[in-house]
Amino acid sequence: MQVIAPAGTARGAPAIAAAAPTGRFGLERILLGLGVALLLLLVGYPLLWLLLGALGLPQSIGLEHLARAFTRPQNYAALVNTLELALGTGLMSVAIGVPLAWATARSDMPLRQLVHVLVALSYITPPYLTALAYIILFGPDAGQFNRLLRALFGLTSGPINVFSMSGVIFVIGIHVFAFTYFLTYTALKAVDASLEESAQMLGAKRWQTVLRINLPLVAPAITGGALLSAIDSLALFGPQAIIGTPAQIVFLPTRIYATIGSYPPRWGEASALSLLLVALTVAGLALQRGYLEQRSYVTVGGRGVRTRRLEHGLWRWPLTGFCLSVVFFSAVAPIGVLTLTAFSNSWIEPLSASNITLAHFQAALFTDQVSVRGIINSFKLATAAAAVAVALGAIVAYLDLRTTLWGRRLLDYLAILPLGLPGTVMAVGILLAFIRFPLPIYGTIWILLAAYVARFVPLATRSANASFRQIDPALEEAGRITGASWWLTMRRVLFPLARPGLLVAFLLVFIPAFSELSATILLYAGGTETIAIAIYRLNDLGQLEVVSALAVFTIGVVLSLALLVNWLSGSSWASGETPIRG
Amino acid sequence: MPIARRSMIKGVVASCAVTLLRRQAKAQAAGPEDAAQIDLEKAKAEGKVVLYTSLDTQIVDAINAPFTQKYGIAVQYFRGGSSDVTSKVLAEADAGRPQADVVDASDLAALLLMKERKLLKPFKSAAAAAVASNLRDPDSTWITDRLTQAVIQYNSKELGSAPPKTWADLGKAALNGRLVYFSSANGDGAPRIYTLAKHLGWDVVKAMAATKPLRVQTPQIITQVLERGERIAGFLQNDNIAWRSKRQGKPTDYLFPAEGVPTEIGACGLLASSPRPHAAALYHEWWMGPEGQALLVKGGKYSSRTDVAPPEGSTPLSELKLLMLDYAEYKRDKTKILDQIADIFGGEWGN
Repeated sequence: MQVIAPAGTARGAPAIAAAAPTGRFGLERILLGLGVALLLLLVGYPLLWLLLGALGLPQSIGLEHLARAFTRPQNYAALVNTLELALGTGLMSVAIGVPLAWATARSDMPLRQLVHVLVALSYITPPYLTALAYIILFGPDAGQFNRLLRALFGLTSGPINVFSMSGVIFVIGIHVFAFTYFLTYTALKAVDASLEESAQMLGAKRWQTVLRINLPLVAPAITGGALLSAIDSLALFGPQAIIGTPAQIVFLPTRIYATIGSYPPRWGEASALSLLLVALTVAGLALQRGYLEQRSYVTVGGRGVRTRRLEHGLWRWPLTGFCLSVVFFSAVAPIGVLTLTAFSNSWIEPLSASNITLAHFQAALFTDQVSVRGIINSFKLATAAAAVAVALGAIVAYLDLRTTLWGRRLLDYLAILPLGLPGTVMAVGILLAFIRFPLPIYGTIWILLAAYVARFVPLATRSANASFRQIDPALEEAGRITGASWWLTMRRVLFPLARPGLLVAFLLVFIPAFSELSATILLYAGGTETIAIAIYRLNDLGQLEVVSALAVFTIGVVLSLALLVNWLSGSSWASGETPIRG
Repeated sequence: MPIARRSMIKGVVASCAVTLLRRQAKAQAAGPEDAAQIDLEKAKAEGKVVLYTSLDTQIVDAINAPFTQKYGIAVQYFRGGSSDVTSKVLAEADAGRPQADVVDASDLAALLLMKERKLLKPFKSAAAAAVASNLRDPDSTWITDRLTQAVIQYNSKELGSAPPKTWADLGKAALNGRLVYFSSANGDGAPRIYTLAKHLGWDVVKAMAATKPLRVQTPQIITQVLERGERIAGFLQNDNIAWRSKRQGKPTDYLFPAEGVPTEIGACGLLASSPRPHAAALYHEWWMGPEGQALLVKGGKYSSRTDVAPPEGSTPLSELKLLMLDYAEYKRDKTKILDQIADIFGGEWGN
């Protein structure tokens, strides 16, 4: 279909030019040109400034910032910690993601549907909320679990300390393991049972089949998932700051935040550190891509795949126990404790009838100035960002699939690129680019819109691309041949057909934009606070109950929209098209 | 083709931006130079005032409500740590997009830096008569609004009978793993740690660090951590938070060590680029005036005004030995000092 598209357009062109000699080229090219310009402005221009900033511009030019960034011991420590975090979460994602995927995809374990849905729930919960929940759960002495353990075993202090490197790895790991889980799950579902049966007919035992048939087939998915988990963990400013700062552990994103947040801001050093973080992610993504390409075992043939659930006998029960405890810690406990806190007068008191209140919701949703403004701004920003991103994504996908324009591949690459860029890095580039002439929008809500569009345009582009691909260009050609203008063809043929796909694209951008933290924290100003900022700031002031109420509200919104996406796209959670966030 | 359009679009955008910048520049009218020149009508016409502050939101809300009620001028504020406030003011100045009219931070070095960069506007406040001369700028760009003392706060259930009484006590082995202190990732906790080191020696600070204290990001959280027994003693930099916790009947108490207490000067000023200079001056006078300062005191802060009493039930400042910081020196050596503190405590200090 893709091959036909450009040829079709070329064939159709003269006929329409004759039918509608004026206007068509104008509108088509203006719209497409605008899209291209906007993309270059929002993604290309900030990245350029990242480079310029690292060279010391605009104040001076030289290599001293780069040299400083790479020689200061603080920065070196941040780099080492960041690598340790990535390695830890990558390994953890395999250790828990693979058994879970096996259990839900291939075993006859009870409750596997529930486990699957709860993994998805832990993935869509913003990770900084999980981090807050874990302070309530595993604060070294007063955390609910530690108190329980102290009471049970008569200990003087809590045995588990969340404020440690392993604490950070754990909290981030139970979020990012979803990558490994979903990729492995999909791969396991694609392994045809006939392969396993052949092995067994040749005399292989069950464990031999698993080890020598299933494992090699899904190995690329496992490795790919582990790398994606590791890369995502690099970028998660929220939990790194919320747990890492008290633990005295510095990571690259928190380091970048501090170089700009302390006064006077050190732009050059922040840019140089951002480039370092980009280098890490790009290396990780390249590794992942290279690995997948080299070791892709195609098992999907022309016919459908038949899978078989394996009976695990008594082993089902320990497997169920393991799976349930993973989702308990990744979804049930954090969301549960936030909900309990949101409804109790004082979270340190035990839950009882007299300790239940709606006051915190009232404060969060109606009275607290910053909180109310945050909710309104987040709704506005997420809606606008999703609309712009979908428009841009549609333009990029259209150019890629329906034209032969030179440079459209490059454009497509530019629109996908931010997927590999941590929010902190995007924010530094956007700050440097839009703090000065010709577009000084720093301090206004527009800079947040620019950041969200730039960060999440890849999600819209991918989604629009997938939905255009499903529509035969012959339908548009038919429209044009019968005399409709280009715009009319778009309005009457392409958009109506692509609408469900574009709506999903809209939601896929809206969801992460609604709770974005890592870029917002560097770009917001008085009056442009978002929900994430309200949560972060109120937490600073120790108002944990109001924070929890806001958190429950946020999770509620995100969850409802995710369910809507699921329903619209008519697929299971396993589609892999789950939103990214920071 | 796309190139031509793009440059056209850029041209349009650029001209819009220039117009915007001009409008901004025009908006920076001088406004009143002293309290007597404040024009109430002009202030009301400006409609609102934007405050950047590091003061606790509960106190800010209490000060703002009667101001808005009295003058019909809304107060919009950004609240963050002193470093957040300062880096925002500096970044906005770099961007040529000033948002704030009035700035307040509990780190005088920050105000000195703003003054050096010519971001503050000289303004003769009526409050000057009530504030000691060493607590205000001879050039009238800033004036102290509050004095915040560091205290030892502790969980009274755990340490009620024998609390740590001196700063040196906080470094004793008995508090290993039981102490809590604060600094944001931007180094907001550093000035008072440095004051302590400067007056009592670095060994006191190093001993504290050796107990492996829990670090939290704001002073409010120190108190929260102590209230729920997560830690039993804290090097709390804000006496007002300890005061509030005790008054609310939470299981905490606090004391001012006899060897002296590090004092931090919180100061405010008007921004030279203020888009609303009249409302800003009016608000400044409310903030510094007897009524505004009384509300500050009600929140547990010590006012800089000599005619305003200390918070109910607190020791008067005259009975405390205050340890002061040379802020000009701190501003000059900030990077070096932060490096030193980061070496001792580890973690992120924004250095």
